[in-house]
Amino acid sequence: MYGTYFTEDNVQFNVEALDWRDAIEKSVSLLRENGFVNREYASEVIKNVEEYGPYIVISPGIAIPHTRPENGALRVGVSLITLKYPIYFEGIEAPVKVMISFSATDHHKHLEIIKMIVNIVENGLIDNISNIDSVNDLNNLIGEDNR
Amino acid sequence: MLNILVVCGAGLGSSFACQMSVEAVLQDLGVKASVDHSDISSAAGSRADIIISGKNFESQFMRYDLPMELIFLDRLVDKNEIKEKLVPVLEAIGKL
Repeated sequence: MYGTYFTEDNVQFNVEALDWRDAIEKSVSLLRENGFVNREYASEVIKNVEEYGPYIVISPGIAIPHTRPENGALRVGVSLITLKYPIYFEGIEAPVKVMISFSATDHHKHLEIIKMIVNIVENGLIDNISNIDSVNDLNNLIGEDNR
Repeated sequence: MLNILVVCGAGLGSSFACQMSVEAVLQDLGVKASVDHSDISSAAGSRADIIISGKNFESQFMRYDLPMELIFLDRLVDKNEIKEKLVPVLEAIGKL
């Protein structure tokens, strides 16, 4: 079931980013291109991280850029990028290699996306994901481990 | 009923993910509780028995004089860390 979230339209591998802000911009731009968020969303995520610290880094190696629905979310959606060069967040030792951005329109409709993310972390798939370069492989990896 | 609130910046992603791990740990421990998630601005008025949040929020929580137990995590979805920090708190308030 989780194997159906990612397509050629919302996934990019080996993205080059200058720093965490640039990585968030690039990750969130896939949400925007798919009509999930408006152009404010990325800067709202960055603003939130500046204000609250890197709460989007939920486990070593993975960040999940997101902000509140009223900050530019249009529909529930998700995107995934892997970073060519891992990037650092202030105060966090392990660099981030995988970014899964999402948008939510209320507190519950994105439940399945969160479940998928938790499964990726709990199954230790972050390193595997950072090393693959096809959407098929990605979906097989996520799909297999969650069925 | 024991009430646990998981808190992050936006109150719908990191805290929601953490809530799932907390629920899994509570199930392992056989402790019944109602777990919810929210953003930090609504956390101050919460009546939860325990608040769980990320390390990066610790200083912000310290500005308020909150009556409930506070737990801060390095890794929001690490069940081992959650269990390690939650068990002593549950014991202290007589829920375990």
